[in-house]
Amino acid sequence: MSYAYLFKYIIIGDTGVGKSCLLLQFTDKRFQPVHDLTIGVEFGARMITIDGKQIKLQIWDTAGQESFRSITRSYYRGAAGALLVYDITRRDTFNHLTTWLEDARQHSNSNMVIMLIGNKSDLEARRDVKKEEGEAFAREHGLIFMETSAKTAANVEEAFINTAKEIYQKIQDGVFDINNELHEIEIDCMLFSDCFVNEHNCMIVIV
Amino acid sequence: MFSRQKGWIPGLLSRPKNPHSLEHLKYLYSLLMKNQTITENNRSLLVETLRSISEILIWGDQNDSSVFDFFLEKNMLSFFLKYLQQRAGRYICVQLLQTLNILFENIKNETSLYYLLSNNHINSIIVHKFDFSDEEVMAYYISFLKTLSLKLNKHTIHFFYNEHTNDFALYTEAIKFFNHSESMVRIAVRTITLNVFKVEDKAMLRYIRDRTAAPYFSNLVWFIGNHILNVDLCVRHDADHQSRNRLADLVAEHLDHLHYLNDILCINIDTLNEVLTDQFLNRLLIPLYVYCLTMRKKHNGRQGDKKHISSVVALYLLSQVFLIISYAPLVRQLAEIIFQGDISVQQQEASNDSPQTKLREFVAPDESLEATLESNRGQHPFHQGELEEPVTTGNSTFYMRTQSMTEQTEVHERVPTPPTTEADLPTQNSTDEEKLYGSQRTSTGTSIEQKQTTFSLENRAYLEAIFNALECSENDYEALFALCLLYAMGHNDGIHQGLMDTVMMPTEKSETKDHYNVALVERLIKIITLASQSGNKVRLSTLELTIKLLKQLVYMSGKSYLQDRHLASIENARECCTQLLRNFYKSEEMFLDMFEDEYREMKNRPLNVEYLTMDASILLPPTGTPLTGIAFSKRLPCGEVERARRAIRVFFLVRDLSLTLLQETESQLPLTKEDSCIKVSDILDLNNSDLIACTVVTKESRKMERRFLVIDSIQLILVEPDTKRLGWGVVRFAGFLQDVEVTGDKDDSRSLHITIHKPPSSQHARPLPLLSGRFVFDDHIRCMAAKQRLTKGRLKARQQKMMMIERLLDIPNDGGQRSSTPSGRNRPYPGRSHPIRSVSTPSQQSQETTPISTPTPRSQQVDPIQSVPTKSQGQETNNESTDSVEIAEEAFAYQTFNQHTGTNASSRHTPSPVDNSPFQEIQMEDLSKRKKKHSKKMPNVRLHQMTSSSHSRSHSHSPKRDEGLSSNRGRSYSMVEESKRERSSTPKGRGHSNSQPIPEGKRSRPSSGSSSDECHKIRTRSKESQSPKTLRPAEEPALTLFSQDSESMATSIDSLKLVPPAESLRTPSDTSSTGTSNDGQNSAVENQDDKNSESSFKDSKPNFAFKSPSAADVEISKARVESVARAKSSSATDQLTKLAQIVQEHFSDDKQTETGLVDQNTDM
Repeated sequence: MSYAYLFKYIIIGDTGVGKSCLLLQFTDKRFQPVHDLTIGVEFGARMITIDGKQIKLQIWDTAGQESFRSITRSYYRGAAGALLVYDITRRDTFNHLTTWLEDARQHSNSNMVIMLIGNKSDLEARRDVKKEEGEAFAREHGLIFMETSAKTAANVEEAFINTAKEIYQKIQDGVFDINNELHEIEIDCMLFSDCFVNEHNCMIVIV
Repeated sequence: MFSRQKGWIPGLLSRPKNPHSLEHLKYLYSLLMKNQTITENNRSLLVETLRSISEILIWGDQNDSSVFDFFLEKNMLSFFLKYLQQRAGRYICVQLLQTLNILFENIKNETSLYYLLSNNHINSIIVHKFDFSDEEVMAYYISFLKTLSLKLNKHTIHFFYNEHTNDFALYTEAIKFFNHSESMVRIAVRTITLNVFKVEDKAMLRYIRDRTAAPYFSNLVWFIGNHILNVDLCVRHDADHQSRNRLADLVAEHLDHLHYLNDILCINIDTLNEVLTDQFLNRLLIPLYVYCLTMRKKHNGRQGDKKHISSVVALYLLSQVFLIISYAPLVRQLAEIIFQGDISVQQQEASNDSPQTKLREFVAPDESLEATLESNRGQHPFHQGELEEPVTTGNSTFYMRTQSMTEQTEVHERVPTPPTTEADLPTQNSTDEEKLYGSQRTSTGTSIEQKQTTFSLENRAYLEAIFNALECSENDYEALFALCLLYAMGHNDGIHQGLMDTVMMPTEKSETKDHYNVALVERLIKIITLASQSGNKVRLSTLELTIKLLKQLVYMSGKSYLQDRHLASIENARECCTQLLRNFYKSEEMFLDMFEDEYREMKNRPLNVEYLTMDASILLPPTGTPLTGIAFSKRLPCGEVERARRAIRVFFLVRDLSLTLLQETESQLPLTKEDSCIKVSDILDLNNSDLIACTVVTKESRKMERRFLVIDSIQLILVEPDTKRLGWGVVRFAGFLQDVEVTGDKDDSRSLHITIHKPPSSQHARPLPLLSGRFVFDDHIRCMAAKQRLTKGRLKARQQKMMMIERLLDIPNDGGQRSSTPSGRNRPYPGRSHPIRSVSTPSQQSQETTPISTPTPRSQQVDPIQSVPTKSQGQETNNESTDSVEIAEEAFAYQTFNQHTGTNASSRHTPSPVDNSPFQEIQMEDLSKRKKKHSKKMPNVRLHQMTSSSHSRSHSHSPKRDEGLSSNRGRSYSMVEESKRERSSTPKGRGHSNSQPIPEGKRSRPSSGSSSDECHKIRTRSKESQSPKTLRPAEEPALTLFSQDSESMATSIDSLKLVPPAESLRTPSDTSSTGTSNDGQNSAVENQDDKNSESSFKDSKPNFAFKSPSAADVEISKARVESVARAKSSSATDQLTKLAQIVQEHFSDDKQTETGLVDQNTDM
């Protein structure tokens, strides 16, 4: 299967917010959401099409590795997109967003697209965090926001694809250098053409 | 029952309707049975079957345990293995791996987990040779291993590690990918290894150490080292910042490596750590990092063909090591070599062909990790098997050998070190000895001088190299890293103070800081001094870090140990940077914003060294262009604005250092005292304060809220009436006037669009307005009134702050200037200021030059007393009274005053000498007054000290400030007009009225209406007039809302954008001497005393005078100006007076002042 781009995503957020379920829900349509089954996975890949181009999304869940600093920080670098997930029925998961975001900003490439996701939107009755609060947080920090439900699959597709669109747009704008993989370092660096963004978000390309 | 029976006849089983049931699993099993060989035809069926199995099993785990029993009973895992072995392509592989991933990720039932692991199928799957060139297979495979590793614990470890066969497939298969090209795979490998090390199983750990540790770590270290060479290459070839992204990735990756090693060390498996420390130190840190510290361009021939990195990169990397890793045995050895290591040893080593030198070299491991692991597999002995002892004996021979080597090299390294360190061996046992030793050093009675002579850089090649790197007269490229390194070493928990004391570097761990490394401190001070000069090449980060390090060396818990001569240098630097900032001082709105932004930035984001070193951009030579996207503090300023920003920040930093060392508290910064501001849900007494009712429609929520708008001196407040107390209100919103943006509504004359901006809360956050909405008022008049007041309030608030800055910078100017500023900004007056400047400049210069003392005598003042004057200096030459250090102020006021009288006589020869006499008179009068006060409180000796220091402060002034001064003069003169009209000014009355501005508003400072010459008077008097009530008949509300308005009228009336008055008012100032202006101002201030609508009306008249051609003429009598103004204004404001009256009705009667103001505004 050939593709034009490979986007690596990571999913971050407190434990129990449904990260791995979101992942499975998006990457594997064959697993139908059922009320008495919670099923998640740590890795998944899926092909999508944006603008007529085949794009492969690889999604890595970072759960269970929080005890090692080297691991959490490494994940951010390699990712083009991050889904920052909280649970709308648990206020504490929302309160921790700032910490997660700070961590992400600190360790990630500055161009990483971050999407804020309020998960478990199916549990409206137990809602603890208003949609407006999520929206406000996203607006303040320049994130895309969406409420999803891994259970009912509501908005899951949109969440991942909108993130991909944003990354794609950045690549089109030349802001994002997705193929800047570390194993290519043997090539003389002077040969590289490189892009970067200045403070005013004007893109400058030096060839 | 029916389906069960069917289940035994494969092929006949029909698909059950419920996909989540035991029946369905049975059906799937039948499918597997039927399709044991993968063919083109059944492949997709099998994939779906395998997928469904995972789904049902998890459903069973959560809902029905019989499902799992069936799965185990039929040993369905064996099918998985069989399918794998058929090598039937990626689809089956990927599906199998996904199924396994899901199984191990989701199964909560421990017994189920054990059953799944029990028959070694999983290990067989792990060692299966997948097609790893397929990235998806690779990803699923490594995720599978990672998932398994997360399930490891004391019990499950035995399913993976076989003690008898010495097999640990999960671990050995995983580490083969430690240098995989895909970063996510490498991360997963690291995760797996850490999860394995974490399990406390002795046999397993022994296996890891004996069989895999040395090969794995040596390969890892080699991998890291090669990565470093790439970093170095990238730095060398990228002087013009072209591939910064790539460099950033490389550096981030390197940091990941360091963190990974640190995480291993933190798990604290001693035996493993020893191997790692040995490999890391001797194969990477020492040969590549430390040896390259001395790599200068001049003598790198010695290195020959050896792999090396530049000294900049070496410094950078070493500081990262010390910032990240704090494992004592490692960092201590490394620090010792850096502190005491001598190049001769290194050379000796190089010449020797001893086995040790081989170790201390950055070379590739003998064979690749995979090869080692292969040869090591199963029962085969380790490749150095002859050295291996039975596993049960504990230490393997391999390990013993490396240990002995380390010891040898340690001894070897130690030979040339000074005798002081002979005692401390880098073993953990020596800690106490060293501590004892350290305390002996400090407790012995030897004098500081002797102590300091004991330290020399001789035979400390690496330390010397670090110290030399601190030189930044050319640039601070290397200096920044040297600072990082020294800072990191001082903050490393693994390095004990005894070791730091050998190089006289006190840290936070020190009990006393009596002895510091003079050589180092002097180098630091040199950087600070350099940074406070103009056009230097020291970046802000470098300066901040220097200050941090200096504080670490000499400052502890409120006490400074800095020697007097060093302190004098710091004070001198503070002087210089204040002076530098004065040159940038502009009476522009932007300056205030910058000033406050920089302060906020400095306070909110103090330098974090770890974050700093994470930024790869500092690895490239310092640049000045913002196009690189490098943060401002990490590059040189570009353009005038950035230079101003920089000067502001340097000023803050050095000022803060100086205050800290002098043990003073900051009293003048920040400009806004948060705690004196009104906050939401405060309850205010609104009796007597001016309220404008309005409806606020916020942009976001479209909510309509009925509120009362209150405009305070610095804040815009929205209140809601308090239901409990009449006349009181609850604050619903409070924002700063200075951040208000008001625009009218084209379609609705009763509405205003008001936005209150707020600075961004974090670096990445977008600056969102605090409030953005439409304010709908009852009628057009009120709307206009509100608009005027907001506009004016904004100006006023900003003027006040500008004056505070002036005071901070010793700019001997007054608030009058402020009010002319905005109009000046809107419309420059070409050529206007020149005649004025000729007046003001000489006076100023003479004022500056008369003081004889230069910064040098400062050193004598390094004593507690000095702390008083130095702080007050900021305020001395300025006018306002502040609550700080009264004595000093007074004393200084006295002094400055003398100065003035002395110098003015010579300078004040220009335009109208006639006016000189009244001026002199006033001065004399004030002088006597002050003298009285002074003699009461101040001993003469102290006074002298202070004067000398203050002289040195107000040393040079820039032309810009002169300009400001001139405009200010012009403006302040306007007061003369009014006051002359208003009342005859007697000295007595003047004294009274001068104090008038002060009581206005608790937090406000008298901001206007006073000229530079007058400042001292006001300041002293402010004390007399602290209680406002005696001066103002009108009662003040509990929280003085609006109290400033009377004042603002006097000052900012002229400054409104719509109003051109400042200019017109300035005209007369051309004609008259500064003496008169001074005189006039006094009365102008008085003028504020009895304000009413009428008087404010008069105030407005000069504005109209602007229109008169006569205003342009130079020699006009004041009377004439007045008459012209009167004539003009009366005709123009005829109709507006009516409006004013209407408005007046709407507002509280006792606030005539304000209504007057409104009149005026509506006029315009």
